[in-house]
Amino acid sequence: MKVHQKGYLLLALNKSGTLWDYELIKKTLHEYNETGAFREKTLSIALDELAAAGLISRIEEKLETVGDQLKLRFKYKLSDFGVSRMVDTGLLLPW
Amino acid sequence: MANISTTAKFPDAITPDTNLKSALHKHYLRNQRWGFMWALWTAILWGAWYVPGTALWSEFPYVNIAADQQSLRLAATAVMTWIHAITVFLFLLLWNAVLGKVKDYGRTMVRFKTISKWYALASLCGGPLAIFGSYMAMGFIGPVFAAISSLFYPVIGAVIARLWYKEKISRRAAIGMCIIIFGGMIIYGPGLFGEMNESNPNAWLGYLGGIMSAIGWGTEGAVAARAMDVSDPDVGIHCRFSFEILFWGILILPALALFTELPIAELIINTVTHDKAMLWIVLAAACHAYCYTAFYKSFSLIGVGRGEAIGNLYAVFALIFIAAFTLQFPQWYFVLGLIFTVLGSFVMFSESAESVANLRDVDAPGAY
Repeated sequence: MKVHQKGYLLLALNKSGTLWDYELIKKTLHEYNETGAFREKTLSIALDELAAAGLISRIEEKLETVGDQLKLRFKYKLSDFGVSRMVDTGLLLPW
Repeated sequence: MANISTTAKFPDAITPDTNLKSALHKHYLRNQRWGFMWALWTAILWGAWYVPGTALWSEFPYVNIAADQQSLRLAATAVMTWIHAITVFLFLLLWNAVLGKVKDYGRTMVRFKTISKWYALASLCGGPLAIFGSYMAMGFIGPVFAAISSLFYPVIGAVIARLWYKEKISRRAAIGMCIIIFGGMIIYGPGLFGEMNESNPNAWLGYLGGIMSAIGWGTEGAVAARAMDVSDPDVGIHCRFSFEILFWGILILPALALFTELPIAELIINTVTHDKAMLWIVLAAACHAYCYTAFYKSFSLIGVGRGEAIGNLYAVFALIFIAAFTLQFPQWYFVLGLIFTVLGSFVMFSESAESVANLRDVDAPGAY
């Protein structure tokens, strides 16, 4: 069975070091074979929740014009607290 | 595709930088508003829940249980709580099916040792500990005392969240929380004088129940938020009710049926075969399912302390809904309490959106 989606977001960040939100969302949608704006929004909220809880940090932000819309993008990295919580919850093995 | 980045350099740095700052502020403000809105929905639906929750006691088989039959009343409470929890589970299944999160529910439930055990603990705190405690407070002292003691649960939740995982509680959030609790005490406080009876030898059981309810609901928020660090709140609440069904259905009710002479099976059959009792349970479960969903969603955006404090506005909404459905209007001091609770909410909401965007003091010593 696949890991739950919030867990996958953390694992993907742990593997890649730093990622922009749209890269993380694209990876996750591909992993779970999902599509659509609603799913993208759901994952975007999950990233906001992870950042608010201190598990991931926003290290850079930018405004991007997509079509006729201006979108705010964040670059994330896993925090030390996030690594610790991943170990606690079995997403990472203790080293 | 055009980019404006904080690390990029622009010939005209003012406009892009200002745009970015403004977009960032709007982003944090939107999250803060959603967090407070979910917490407000918690209070509205919690208040609405009191109408079908109270009406259920006027239906067969519960209407026939006299007020002085304490053990039978507690057994009836356990039965109605279990059937209610099953109905809540079904409403949550519908919710997660619409959101496309049923598979994630399964993925989270199976990680019991590392994640879903926290939801199991949250269900123990919020179910048997808090609800049972609240009924003890109601039964041995009175409903007003039960309501007042429950008002203190955000303090417990905020303190545990602070000590356990360094949730940031700003001075403004703490002041807002105190004003809301004070407002709740004004609403219910005067009624307390009619309930306190110094000659009651079992009053200590009521006080114990009051403490249990405040600790139970406060702890539930802090424990659930710990699990929501790494899992989804919609899924989390579904896990929490799955465990509550198991606790009542596999442990508590069979134990009551086996080791006491209480008519547990008869109460279950009489409830599920009686249309009116089931109608009130379905209405109560609809309120409770989405009240709890909103409760958990608020924790991940504004934190346990703020979410629970705004959730305390249920004290106001409960009286409004009861007045709307029964035409029993509250006393004049309700308006005074209402002013304080609304004022406290505004004090909390007036915190800067940026400060609410980071809920944990993760760099503090002992944060993890």
